[in-house]
Amino acid sequence: MSGKTGGARRDEPVDVLIVGAGPSGAVAARYLAAAGLSVVALEQGHWPDAADFPGRKREFELAAQKRWHPNPNVRDLPRDYPVETSASDINPLMYAAVGGSTTLYAGHWTPFLPSDFRVKTLDGIADDWPFTYEDLLPSLEEIEREVGVSGLPGNPAYPPQRAFPTPPLPIGKAGRKAVEGLDKLGWHWWPGTNAMPSVPYNGLNPCVRRGTCMTGCPEGAKSTVNITFWPHAIRSGARLITGARVREIEVNDQGLATGAVYIDENGRERRQRAAVVIVCANGIGTPRLLLLSKSKRFPDGLANRSGMVGKRLMMHPFSAVLGVFEDELDGWMGPFGQLVESFEFYETDASRGFMRGAKWGAMPGGGPLGVTSFVGSQIFSAGEGGMVEDVWGENLHKLVARRFNHCLVYGIIGEDLPEESNQVVLDPELTDSDGVPAPKLLYKVSQNSHDMLRFHVARCTEAVEAAGAIETVVVHQVRDTGWHLLGSCRMGEDAATSVVDQWGRSHDVPNLYIFDGSTFPTSGGVNPTATIMSVALRQVRRLIAQRHLQEAA
Amino acid sequence: MLLDDASRAKFAAIADRLIPASGKMPAASSASVQHAMLDLALQSRPDLTEDFTRGLAACSADAPSQSINALFREDRTGFNAVNLIAVAAYYMTDEVRDLIGYPGQESPAYDPHETPDYLVDGTLERVVRRGPLYRPTPRG
Repeated sequence: MSGKTGGARRDEPVDVLIVGAGPSGAVAARYLAAAGLSVVALEQGHWPDAADFPGRKREFELAAQKRWHPNPNVRDLPRDYPVETSASDINPLMYAAVGGSTTLYAGHWTPFLPSDFRVKTLDGIADDWPFTYEDLLPSLEEIEREVGVSGLPGNPAYPPQRAFPTPPLPIGKAGRKAVEGLDKLGWHWWPGTNAMPSVPYNGLNPCVRRGTCMTGCPEGAKSTVNITFWPHAIRSGARLITGARVREIEVNDQGLATGAVYIDENGRERRQRAAVVIVCANGIGTPRLLLLSKSKRFPDGLANRSGMVGKRLMMHPFSAVLGVFEDELDGWMGPFGQLVESFEFYETDASRGFMRGAKWGAMPGGGPLGVTSFVGSQIFSAGEGGMVEDVWGENLHKLVARRFNHCLVYGIIGEDLPEESNQVVLDPELTDSDGVPAPKLLYKVSQNSHDMLRFHVARCTEAVEAAGAIETVVVHQVRDTGWHLLGSCRMGEDAATSVVDQWGRSHDVPNLYIFDGSTFPTSGGVNPTATIMSVALRQVRRLIAQRHLQEAA
Repeated sequence: MLLDDASRAKFAAIADRLIPASGKMPAASSASVQHAMLDLALQSRPDLTEDFTRGLAACSADAPSQSINALFREDRTGFNAVNLIAVAAYYMTDEVRDLIGYPGQESPAYDPHETPDYLVDGTLERVVRRGPLYRPTPRG
């Protein structure tokens, strides 16, 4: 790589091409540009505009169900690509924009734990990672400074580490109610750690508890890389092209990546050449792009000699338990966001009948429209022959009076174990708005996940009952919860069974890298953004340090 | 989407079957769901226009109960659109929000440097005293 400082003109060859401007792409761009490398990033979405987010508007809850829904098949926007899900138990959730899916994420900041990197050694299942928690910790601590995490240090669920850069957010009445139950049972809890600063930080405003995190933060207070990383990267010379949908990574006769072909906003096909290509398009977009990039040399898709591209998709099956209380809990107040987290049943206990565990995040109950359709499931359904008035009418008033402002919700994220049968493939018919083949998911929730979620739902129910719940509602294995798209281009040291090495470098194409969550060998039982960004930082640091040895087209 | 007075009156009659008066809560039409909030709801969900229009057209202002029940049985998508718009419009009105104690999504002031109760009342200390939960990285 030339190391020529950035500011590349359109289509001029650059040192590094990054595909995707979400969390991992932003980390890569920022550090590469700061190191003096010329960088171009291609992002299919656009810059989000906080003024568009509906959180300050009266119709916020209604807009959340369509335009700002996290399922691209529901939003159905031209910048989204559709995903064929008829053979999947879970719908994948994502967002196409600078900042990627974090535009709509809840900002739970929960790094992987030490055992998550050693599940084979500790539990005899799946695979160990090529590195440990301790190897990753310096990168995590650096990322947390940039992200502006709010939280309280000293959580006994984790080894000691550097304090968070901003104080914890208030846990509110709903969080306090969750604590009542957990404290009574003697179970672990900790004030929620969130990617939302409580004081002004790195271009972010402080969280004002508006509670609309999952439709985009109109306050500019949820930490997303369009605010925290991209401005730095661009100041250092990185060039970010939005509305650019990459359809193929090209290779030369030597088997080296030469850049990418993309379709710009006007539908024109363009070519961006680069010495190194880094794919950061998430656990569905990345394997999709590699599978699209077939050539004589790579007839089964780029970097796919192992046959592992697209396999081992993990999406974290999710269940939720809602507790209804006599007390008023300010149920519409954020963060939304986790108020309180619990790792009481995170580690493996084989006597429970399943392996690994889950994290709980206590969240507020939401607005009045939300309580009529808890986690997307219609509460009312008139049976055959029943009258609409009998199930709506009075019942609607009673339901809202009982639940609105009186709820807290536990979200349960359980570790999803890797299985080769859970896959991303290309759909033979479905395409995006540019005619590029769409991905199709083949995904079944495993028996281990079923059993794990049943156990955790039962414990969560005990926790809300211990807090005095007068009613509990369980939504088991919610379909629209595939936020965490992991594992489909697994990292490992063996080229026969993995796609990239621990530094994200493809075994088959020495100047092709993957820095996103698709490389995760296992999924942990926590929200993965903290780990995705930390792994990307560790990898990009290595790429920068070794750049003079880097083979390039 | 522009609705004429007759369509608004029909919507009000249908909405009253779904959201009747009850205790302190007004019926949908008394909360004026058929006016500004109906417009706002439809404006924010253009994807529902077709289903809503079809659903409402199938209903009758003279026989609201009969027609909404027929719609539920024969055109669930149309029913869901009419129902969602009615319920959303209802809970967007100031009157209803006041009655249920919902100020909308607000931004209440707080002091991030205030010591939380759980740090002074011993609640969190009990968690700390129970010791680490994590399993350390195996050595060797």
